[in-house]
Amino acid sequence: MATEERKKELLEKLKQAVIEYDEDTAKEGAQEVLDEGINANDAIFDGLVVGMQEVGKLFEAQEYFVPELLMCADALYAGLDILKPHVEQLDLGVKGSVVIGTVEGDVHDIGKNIVKMMFDVAGFEVYDLGRDVPLDQFVEEQIKTDSELVCLSAMMTTTMVGMQKVIDNLKAKNPNVKIMIGGAPVSKDIAEKWGADGYADDATNALSDAIKMIGSLKEMKDDAEGKNKE
Amino acid sequence: MSVSEMSSKDRVTRLFKKEETDRVPCFSGMGNVTTTGLDELGYKFAQVHLDAKQMAETAVTTPKLFGFDSCVLPFDLCVEAEALGAVINTYPHSEDLLYPTIKEKVIKNEDEMEISVPEDLVGRGRVPLMHEAIGIAKKEAGGEIPVGSYVLGPFTLAGQIMELNDLLKLSFKKADKVGKLLEILSGVIVKVAKVYEDAGIDFITVREMGATSDVLSPRVFKNLILPHLQNIIKELNVPSVVHVCGKTNDIVGFMMESGADAISVDQKNDITETRKKLGNDALVFGNFDPYNVLVAGTPDLIREAITKCIDDGVSAVWPGCDIWPTVPPENFKAMIDTVKEHRR
Repeated sequence: MATEERKKELLEKLKQAVIEYDEDTAKEGAQEVLDEGINANDAIFDGLVVGMQEVGKLFEAQEYFVPELLMCADALYAGLDILKPHVEQLDLGVKGSVVIGTVEGDVHDIGKNIVKMMFDVAGFEVYDLGRDVPLDQFVEEQIKTDSELVCLSAMMTTTMVGMQKVIDNLKAKNPNVKIMIGGAPVSKDIAEKWGADGYADDATNALSDAIKMIGSLKEMKDDAEGKNKE
Repeated sequence: MSVSEMSSKDRVTRLFKKEETDRVPCFSGMGNVTTTGLDELGYKFAQVHLDAKQMAETAVTTPKLFGFDSCVLPFDLCVEAEALGAVINTYPHSEDLLYPTIKEKVIKNEDEMEISVPEDLVGRGRVPLMHEAIGIAKKEAGGEIPVGSYVLGPFTLAGQIMELNDLLKLSFKKADKVGKLLEILSGVIVKVAKVYEDAGIDFITVREMGATSDVLSPRVFKNLILPHLQNIIKELNVPSVVHVCGKTNDIVGFMMESGADAISVDQKNDITETRKKLGNDALVFGNFDPYNVLVAGTPDLIREAITKCIDDGVSAVWPGCDIWPTVPPENFKAMIDTVKEHRR
């Protein structure tokens, strides 16, 4: 069993690997975590996620842009893929499954993929329909998988309007389903008017919001484990 | 000619020459087809991209119905990519308004980035159709309405022919490789633009929206993209506009350095700041929100937003992106009326 000091060192290594978009180091660190018997959940939330939160700050400060963010996400996944099979199921109060995809007519999926990362980290069952998804498919998939949450993404004004139809159809078939919409042209007004439960209003905000949401999952984990310092 | 009799074409021509106009021009270099126009002609949106006559007739409905100061074609962003061999989807089955997208990319992995440009590039895809459509639009416009067209910027075109994910990461990891691709694509863009010029367009917009500061750092814009934009612009003979959407305040100087006659920005640009940076002489077009204001807004909101654009100092009232076709006619009218009534 690793000492507290060694554990700290490895968590720092994972964090830095994400910040410095270093996939190899992320893999190496994750393997060391497993080999030395450190809790995989801690490695994810106190290592990889802390790194991603830092990336979110750099992104907001415009030190990092989307290319860096994508590379950091690759590093996070490199570590996550190794750690995930060893994760104990945590009860964070938010668990379940989510249907996610980019609406028909839109072939941009970067924002969607970053949001998906958040759900992957949180241990959700993610049904990723990909991009350019026919509107009916969201409804079919939600019914088939009985998912609690549906996330729709559109990058361009010219495709955003299709989301309204999906929301109407989903709510008609299953009034309890929660719907999040996001993408460059989406506004709070639109989300409210169309009956969505959550929104992220532009590319930058969608990405940093997604990262912040990972951050709040980390807080929930800390709460669940009674580890908060307060 | 008295100033009060200015046609849209006179107005826009004089604007590009930085000469006085009777009022602030209200036009666009990006798509501005409306469902009102389509319905009047009985055309389906999915079809108008594939038929020169239908495309041209549809394009001129916006100035004819609403007094907008330009007609612009094509309506989608796939012409250049298609000529390079990408396969497009026009969603013929759909009753909704869906713009054509690329369903099959040209470059499938990093090793395929040194593409060879087909000899007969301008004879491929819809480039010949565009030549014909612009010719018809010119006739329909009858010398009263300027006919505009657009090409993509090299980075945006690269994002159409390869995975955007890969392009973005490579623009950071292997900038030289991306630079080489942008050079090849700049040649493609110039060739297509020449076809449009030959067909008689009055102005052209280079749409480099993939290079917004929401996505790419201003430094990358300057080092990786600007040199290619400059190479494209210097080949153009008609007045040119460089458009970037999203965050642009940090790159408006670089956009101007492209050599374009004007720059176009969207609602995220702080025009007052841009004016401070570029001075009063620069042509800055923008910057109302073409969906949340023009389509979803009320005539009152539109009057307010358009007045703000003019007061902030735009050289022409111009949408931040393609106009979404379902704009209510009374909203379009409110925009044009505001521009006509405005006194500088």
